[in-house]
Amino acid sequence: MMMLDENKLAKRKKLRQSIAFGILSTLSYSIIAILFIILSFIIYKGIGVINWNFISQMPEEGMTKGGIYPAIIGTLYLVGGSILFAFPIGVLAAIYMNEYVKDGIFKKIIKQMTNNLAGIPSIVFGLFGMSLFVNKLGFGDSILAGSLTLGLLALPVVIRTTEEALKAVDNTFRQASIGLGASKWETTSKIVLPIAFPNIITGLILSIGRVSGETAPILFTVAAYFLPKLPTSIFDQAMALPYHLYVISTSGTNIEESRPIAYGTALVLIIIVLIANLLANGLRKYFGNKVKMN
Amino acid sequence: MFKIESKNVDFFYGSSQALKNINIAIKPNTVTALIGPSGCGKSTYLRLFNRMNDLIDNTKITGQILIDGEDIYAKGVNVDSLRKKVGMVFQKPNPFPKTIFENVAYGLRVNGISDKKFIEERVETSIKQVALWEEVKDKLKKSAFELSGGQQQRLCIARALAIQPSVILMDEPTSALDPISTSKVEELIYELKSKYTIVIVTHNMQQAGRVSDTTAFFYMGELIEYDNTKNIFTHPKIERTQNYITGRFG
Repeated sequence: MMMLDENKLAKRKKLRQSIAFGILSTLSYSIIAILFIILSFIIYKGIGVINWNFISQMPEEGMTKGGIYPAIIGTLYLVGGSILFAFPIGVLAAIYMNEYVKDGIFKKIIKQMTNNLAGIPSIVFGLFGMSLFVNKLGFGDSILAGSLTLGLLALPVVIRTTEEALKAVDNTFRQASIGLGASKWETTSKIVLPIAFPNIITGLILSIGRVSGETAPILFTVAAYFLPKLPTSIFDQAMALPYHLYVISTSGTNIEESRPIAYGTALVLIIIVLIANLLANGLRKYFGNKVKMN
Repeated sequence: MFKIESKNVDFFYGSSQALKNINIAIKPNTVTALIGPSGCGKSTYLRLFNRMNDLIDNTKITGQILIDGEDIYAKGVNVDSLRKKVGMVFQKPNPFPKTIFENVAYGLRVNGISDKKFIEERVETSIKQVALWEEVKDKLKKSAFELSGGQQQRLCIARALAIQPSVILMDEPTSALDPISTSKVEELIYELKSKYTIVIVTHNMQQAGRVSDTTAFFYMGELIEYDNTKNIFTHPKIERTQNYITGRFG
């Protein structure tokens, strides 16, 4: 009697286990599948137009022909500019928050604010950037104004990931350093930051991904529909890949004819983000090893 | 003259009292073991001696802790020089992500010493003190993470010795080590006693018996019994101590 029950129980357990496992694994695989389908769709549609001229030439004939060189350059400028702005400020803010501010209501409020900032729709950032940087500060539609607006957008991502990275550093490292007579700043800069740095780079990767694909924040602050020449200073307007993609898909001179260029543009954007991620990953590994060696 | 004296020490995390009226006097060049079940306050108490609990928000101490006759919680005390005098070794080996050499040199550097020759000498002396020199002398420029757990812990002790403290606090220094590494660290503690005053928190009764001269038994934030280790382990005065030591509760 006992034996029978136990066998039954074991069978039922096994069945439940395989159902749960089946559901979970199906879900995981379908996420990969969706990503794969999107990627291969873009590649399939876009690979045809990609060649050296496409990435090195100016657009021609109402953007139905020619390349997307100025949009690539514009996106690189914007990504670079926004990171230059957001990364140092975000990392320093996170260090202050995590290493210096005592637990309490003040810290809670700032934390909540940071989270709220991350939840603001990007078009609102665009409007804010326009009224502050473009109009109030008089930067005009410019790479500077666009970079700052995108930087604001990236800021909460950088702050949050940096905070997580700092939190992951075992407290006994801090205590050991303080215990040897080191100051808080020495402890933070010489011990905590080097340990956390590889993970801080993750924040950089995420914000590059976020910033390079955004259209709304650059709409009113920097992006140009078409420019016959490349920007020469940070006060110039620039073209950018996501906006270019938007323009030729919605309001080009001949939308049907420029469709392949749109897919090509999307593919280039994806490739740029991919390369940026690979670079940042390399950086992460490099610093990971360096941390052990110094 | 006592090296460390604790007078009517109460300690609070927020509103909860972690230590109640602790009075202990520790002689120089002795090893004192703090024992007791988890959460009894022994680690918290250890961390009062180098003011490590200052790093935790919302804590409060009353009473006095004297080291070399000076109240370390008095106003105007230079905490950095206190911490130079009172070295600390942690539960898990935690070498810095630096080379073996730089790990030991770190304490000297942050204390403003830049004389290269002096640093090299101190590093060598300290590593020799923990009997690690033969094992690492050819790879001082290698990462400290390449050492085994036991070697790392001895390196951490060397790191603490480099700035020439007179007191060493050890918070369960062998709980993450294998038996062989443990016995090496215990031998080391025994040798270091001639130069330093050592306070060690341990969960290992045999270890307390082996390495310490005096033992303090803590229970629920109170000091239950404080006596020569021999007395504590052979005929404790209080039943609760005996029950703990013999493993009847814990």
